[in-house]
Amino acid sequence: MLIALENVTKTYGKVRALAGLTVELPAGAIGLLGPNGSGKTTMIRVLLGLIRVDSGGGRVLGLDLAREQIEIRRRIGFVPENECLFPGMVGIEFAAYAGELVGMDSRDALRRAHEVLDYVGLGEARYRRVESYSTGMKQRLKIASAIVHDPEFLILDEPTNGMDPKGREDVLSLSIDLARNKGMSLLFSSHLLTDVEAVCEHVMVLGHGKLLARGRIEDLKQAHERQFEIRVKGETAAFAAELADRGIPAQREDDAVLAVLPPGAGPAQVWEAARARGEQIRSFRPRRSTLEEIFLTAVRGER
Amino acid sequence: MPIFDQGYQHWDGQLSGQFGRILAIVSRGVQVQIRNRWVRWIMLAALGPAFLLSVFLVIWGLFESKSSLLTPFFGLLKNLPEELQAGPKAFRIAVWTLAVRQFFELQIFFSMMLVLLIGPDLISQDLRFNALPLYLSRPIRRWEYFVGKLGVIAVFLSAVTLLPVLVAFLLGFGFSLDASVIRDTGLLFLGSLAYGVVVVFSAGLLMLAFSSMSRNSRYVGATWLVFWLVSGVSAQVLKETVNRDWCPLASYTRNLLRIRDSLIGAHAAWGQIERLTEAGRDTFDAMASGPFLRGRRGLGPPLPPMSRRAPRPQFQSPIMAAFIPPTFPWWWSASVLCGLAVLSIGVLATRVRGLDRLN
Repeated sequence: MLIALENVTKTYGKVRALAGLTVELPAGAIGLLGPNGSGKTTMIRVLLGLIRVDSGGGRVLGLDLAREQIEIRRRIGFVPENECLFPGMVGIEFAAYAGELVGMDSRDALRRAHEVLDYVGLGEARYRRVESYSTGMKQRLKIASAIVHDPEFLILDEPTNGMDPKGREDVLSLSIDLARNKGMSLLFSSHLLTDVEAVCEHVMVLGHGKLLARGRIEDLKQAHERQFEIRVKGETAAFAAELADRGIPAQREDDAVLAVLPPGAGPAQVWEAARARGEQIRSFRPRRSTLEEIFLTAVRGER
Repeated sequence: MPIFDQGYQHWDGQLSGQFGRILAIVSRGVQVQIRNRWVRWIMLAALGPAFLLSVFLVIWGLFESKSSLLTPFFGLLKNLPEELQAGPKAFRIAVWTLAVRQFFELQIFFSMMLVLLIGPDLISQDLRFNALPLYLSRPIRRWEYFVGKLGVIAVFLSAVTLLPVLVAFLLGFGFSLDASVIRDTGLLFLGSLAYGVVVVFSAGLLMLAFSSMSRNSRYVGATWLVFWLVSGVSAQVLKETVNRDWCPLASYTRNLLRIRDSLIGAHAAWGQIERLTEAGRDTFDAMASGPFLRGRRGLGPPLPPMSRRAPRPQFQSPIMAAFIPPTFPWWWSASVLCGLAVLSIGVLATRVRGLDRLN
């Protein structure tokens, strides 16, 4: 298991940030979702061994959270949410220094810094002062400095926050590549569900410090028995109207028709409507929940 | 995908331990600070007293061994007290001690200046650019971060205090050609090292505390300057008005220098110097008010002849007064410095919090 937390509770004064959180997560790319104040940041700090929990315990990468905090941080890379810089340095010094702080030899750190800066697309800017970098470049620099020591596990806290579409695309591409091609496990904390869906295989949803949902995204997006997504060759809107005329509530959604079969009705009635209208059905499949629905369902259920 | 893919390879090297990580902070801090040309100028200027100390100990070594190299200076040397000329080795410890003492007296200025130039950026810039999460999310504890930052100050202060003393001692030993120098000056050397450590810890902690109190390093520098100068002026004003033993306690540097006197045994050295003959003392006083020293310390009135029986000579000359260690107990100053250190640690602990309190 990548992460195993058992009954972890953490309070700040009267605020209960984590309330008996128990979760086991396998290696891979994991999305961490939750509304503001749900305990995401506290959970990340617990995983990094930065804070002592009130009760409970757990392991990260097989290391005990209470006793092996330094070793955990040696084997984890962390990309903080806010803008953070080592002042007065150029890009290559920044990444090399990040490696040295983990314990890399200065020569290794420098060589490796060149590699990771190339990898994140900052090779051309490596001798520029980091204060002059754009937001997207700073974010990629943070990722470079987090992976300079080749960690097994990378934690990204809101990595696409406040970025333009191009910068966001770059960060997502990097994250996907690290997770799928470089064998690095990721914990991807974000409130942008599409980003999580693009990068992660697993997801966990937190609310008020408790685990609300967890699992493979594909498994969580369960098929609906009576809702179908239909694509036709001809006019989508006209086919939706045809279905509605036949007592099957339907509406156009992008380039498909979303139909909800009433009780007693079956898929045969859809085919019948298509035949009657002379329409060709290109695809006909049960609708699956979106990640947004999973998230909202989990959060509402908790309330 | 626009991202280069060929650059990333897995790395399986060894990671160093705690010391290596602290050393990384020290090393990077030194590299960044040495780029400041003012720092380089001050370090260059600090070589002046270091050079003088080395030259003095070398000449003393030659004088002890009656080297022919000093033949051209015999005219000057014959004015020295007879007792000194006859047996200079008997005064070796005293002379070395007072030389080292004067060196530290001058070097305290350069030390304070270096702390002023190096220190303000150390934590304030990390706060300004929010670098603490980058440090503390790595395998670095808060105290390791502080030690690393303190190490930066220690490197520069050691370069202008401890390193010159070490070089001067080696040269003095080399030119005296007498193994007993090691035995005689061993305690003085250890005392000098201890004083250097006191300066590093005291000034370093204080500056780190100042640096953690603002995100603007200019304010930090101004605070240090005000603290250094105002405390010195206050002590002087108190001395002029109240004139009590404790007055120098108001001055930060005077407290450091009081500890210096205690550690290097300045009182004992002065006791030995008191054994010099009155004629010798007159010569010394005449030299002290001579043209060489006039520009540095100001010209004092001719010194009155001194009695051998006087337990503690009260010189009017500021030059001679500077040689006389203060009379108040050393632990008064030690208490002041310890109090400041505890206060500094308290400020650091409050201002630089763990990552559990940071964004």
